[in-house]
Amino acid sequence: MRRTAIALVAAALFGLTACGTSEPTASGNTSNAAAQPVSLTDARNKKIDLKAPAAKVVVLEWGAAESLVSLGVMPVGVADTKGYTNWVTAEKLDPSVKDVGTRGEASVDAIVALNPDLVITTTDEAANNITQLEKAAPVLVIRGSDAAKPIEQMKTNLDLIAQAVGKTEQAKQLTADFDKKVAEGKQRIADAGKAGSGFMMADGWKQGSTITVRMFTNGSLLGALSTDLGLKNGWTGAGDKDYGLAQTDLEGLTKLPDGEFLYIANKNDGGDVFGGDLAGNAIWKNLPFVKAGNVHRLPDGIWMFGGPKSAGQFIDAAVQAVTS
Amino acid sequence: MTQLTAPAPEAQAVRQPVRRIRVAGLFGAAIALIVVLAAVHLTQGTSSVGAGDLVRLVFGQGTDNAANVLVASRLPRLLAGVLVGIALGVAGAGLQSLARNSLASPDTLGVNAGAYLAVVVVAAFGVPLPVLPAGGVAFLGGLAAAGLVLALSAGGSTGPTRLILAGSAVAMALGGLTTLMLLLFREETVGTFAWGAGTLVQTDLHAVTQMAPVVALGIVAAFLLAAKLDILTLGDDTASVLGVNVRRTRVLTTLVTVLLSAAAVTVAGPVGFVGLVAPVLVRLLAPVVPGLLRHHVLLPLSGLAGVLVVLASDVVLRAAFGGQAGVEIPTGIMTMVVGAVVLIWLARRHRDSGPSRAPAGTGSGLRTRRTFWIVTIALAVLLTAAAVGAMLTGDAFLRTGDIVNWVNGQSGRAITYVLDQRFPRVLSALLCGAALAIAGTTVQAVCRNPLAEPGILGITGGAGVGAIATLILLPSASIWLLSGVAAVAAVVTFGLVYLISWRGGLSSDRLVLIGVGVSSAATAIITLLIVATDPWNLSLAMTWLSGSTYGRTLPQVAPVALALLVLTPVIAHGRRDLDLLALDDDVPRILGVRLERTRLLALLAAALLTAAAVSAIGVVGFVGLVAPHAARALVGGRHARILPVAALLGAILVSLADSLGRTVLAPAQIPAGLLTALIGAPYFVYLLWRTRVPAR
Repeated sequence: MRRTAIALVAAALFGLTACGTSEPTASGNTSNAAAQPVSLTDARNKKIDLKAPAAKVVVLEWGAAESLVSLGVMPVGVADTKGYTNWVTAEKLDPSVKDVGTRGEASVDAIVALNPDLVITTTDEAANNITQLEKAAPVLVIRGSDAAKPIEQMKTNLDLIAQAVGKTEQAKQLTADFDKKVAEGKQRIADAGKAGSGFMMADGWKQGSTITVRMFTNGSLLGALSTDLGLKNGWTGAGDKDYGLAQTDLEGLTKLPDGEFLYIANKNDGGDVFGGDLAGNAIWKNLPFVKAGNVHRLPDGIWMFGGPKSAGQFIDAAVQAVTS
Repeated sequence: MTQLTAPAPEAQAVRQPVRRIRVAGLFGAAIALIVVLAAVHLTQGTSSVGAGDLVRLVFGQGTDNAANVLVASRLPRLLAGVLVGIALGVAGAGLQSLARNSLASPDTLGVNAGAYLAVVVVAAFGVPLPVLPAGGVAFLGGLAAAGLVLALSAGGSTGPTRLILAGSAVAMALGGLTTLMLLLFREETVGTFAWGAGTLVQTDLHAVTQMAPVVALGIVAAFLLAAKLDILTLGDDTASVLGVNVRRTRVLTTLVTVLLSAAAVTVAGPVGFVGLVAPVLVRLLAPVVPGLLRHHVLLPLSGLAGVLVVLASDVVLRAAFGGQAGVEIPTGIMTMVVGAVVLIWLARRHRDSGPSRAPAGTGSGLRTRRTFWIVTIALAVLLTAAAVGAMLTGDAFLRTGDIVNWVNGQSGRAITYVLDQRFPRVLSALLCGAALAIAGTTVQAVCRNPLAEPGILGITGGAGVGAIATLILLPSASIWLLSGVAAVAAVVTFGLVYLISWRGGLSSDRLVLIGVGVSSAATAIITLLIVATDPWNLSLAMTWLSGSTYGRTLPQVAPVALALLVLTPVIAHGRRDLDLLALDDDVPRILGVRLERTRLLALLAAALLTAAAVSAIGVVGFVGLVAPHAARALVGGRHARILPVAALLGAILVSLADSLGRTVLAPAQIPAGLLTALIGAPYFVYLLWRTRVPAR
């Protein structure tokens, strides 16, 4: 007993004396003094002052990461880079971008190790975590989405990010390209005589023998985009107040009218519920849009909660599906 | 495993002649009730297909749509409910006879947890198994869990408390592993969180048709064992004399009941407590209908009762909250709440019978003052090492010199930040560990049961419900409000447990059993709150169901620090009373201790400490159980010594778990509570094994 105790004490002391430091002690901060200071107000109504446009940015949500890349700034760190690669193909991350952990609980150690000028996260993040991150770097908080105005929210977010990194011109260009894309898509749908026709947008997954379907209401980004393209959402139920998502089961689909059924699946992550598991199902087979052959799996990797580039991918895919 | 006790009243009831007409009437009534419930059940759902459409369908005038909904959604759901109900009902009745204990069930024996873990593991590794092999995996998982629990509680014959404790410890450990798998393989197991509470929503008849023959086989096998189970109720010796191979009957019954439970888990996930409630419903009628406890009546009737419980839960859920709720809220949560109430009711009727805990004084052999000081100093050094280690480890590894610089305010930006954010996490782990350990020590002394702890008594769960309800209603609630509500909820929950257990005196066993029931109900309510309000927020679920130091800031640590500062002296002041309380009821009275007042005060302090810890880092289990016990083993039974040693051990345990969780999978993180469960549960199982009552 005694001997063990002494051994433990000795071991602990040995551990404590293994001194050394990992970085030199604090000295003056180097900064690119030439650049213009930036001042902006984020989704929390908090004023953020940067001495210069941020160059080293860590992003904790994929949509913001995509927007950042599309503005011509490669983030230094992104939460769950593997997931990003699977789900977001609109803009690729450089291999050098560091994974800073999961989207729900990003590693603050990893973030601070990158010494970022700015951290971008969403209002979904707990206030505590944001407070804590703010000690390391300025934090720009954007609202993930707003079911009252999803497209405007996407643009607002792009603008905020652009201001923070000094790329407002690029943001204007991206927004203009995006608006043009919507107009063109709308035109093509009208030309095909499909204006006003119905659509449904969904994704889904299977667990055990239970399939859960997530419906995109008009409050969702993709639902709003489809509406702007001149289509009419067949799902009239309510969704959540941020992302405009509703949950239903298979039999809930019988409420849907005829129209184009668009869905997103991912072969690297979850597989294809609608194309695979439901193939022999009596309800599914007899849904009007299934019978009519109007079910379209959109290409993998169109992020449902992304920026203008993902939205553009969706517009192309949706127009293609509806007019084909 | 022989038993010389006199046959229980139940055994006499088994021998009563079967009143065929009354029994037949009962079957008829049960079936009629099931038919009515089934009819209502079929009319409920997310589509617009209602009773009218279905009636028209019967008369050949229905639409294709109605027919499709009926065939591909409503009928599979109904049949899943029937299958799960029958399987769990029969399994529960079988297990109760096996354990000679009305508190045994697939849940309380860990069978469901084992089967579910097996299913999740298979899903996590991306093996898309067809239904039947998945059922096989679930069977093996359930069997292993049941085997362990039955071994720990000597087949359940040593009294219900040990059985329930062994079962809930094993279920908690397996639940911890399951959560860990969900966390590590988030993408592959998406949706498993809600499913983990058991849902009847089915997409086709596939699972049901695959599992129906398995269930049928199980029921036939159970029926074949019925006569032997009847004889087994007379006691092992009598049964042996009468020519029954006791051992073989037990093994076969275990296999059959696990098979049935595993089939149910494969179809619908772990639907809680059906196996507990169903046989109890039947037993309630036994005085009115003689012969009901004969197993060839009891088993099938329990199956029907199981169907009633499952269908009624689902019907009530949808009737109360609408068809949409059936998609969002798993049926299992409803049955779990019902089951918890039944568990509490059963426990209240429970009479103390036989030794169910370690004899007083275990591990309180002669320990010298010198041993105490050596242990304390060694632990203090370990604690320092753990704290320093916790500051050094994480996603980024630092060196001690960095800490020195940080303390002196000379560290660079990155290190300063890393340590600034790590410090509150380390501190919260240390303080919460100490708080939970002190609370656990107090609870164990007052309950005079080394197996009690704030978690098992429902205090932790109650505080968790309070905290998460506050967070949902007021997302920006301050930590003081959060802690305040958690504290009130903890005290109220504990008051409830205490009052329900009070029956002309406080039986420690009853307190523990009721605590287990209340804590199950609390878990169900926490899951319900998360699933109903923020189903996509897995992080929320993780924190409140497993405990995490993620994102803690110094203000959040303040309530724990305050609780420790104020309440530790109160408890320490009462250390001698605790010594006396731990002995028996009489000695303290003789020595002039105001028993009830002291007891209540001590428990109140423990509840407040627990609530502070829970509101700081979420629901963390086993610390309050393991630390005091290990302390007793190290320094003997005097609370002047146990309290400081337990506090040190608790702080070290949680801190270690937290450091590991932040480091092992970095940059991803594992909640500290999961790791304490993984460390604590095996220790607890070992503890039960050590203190098991040898066969007499």
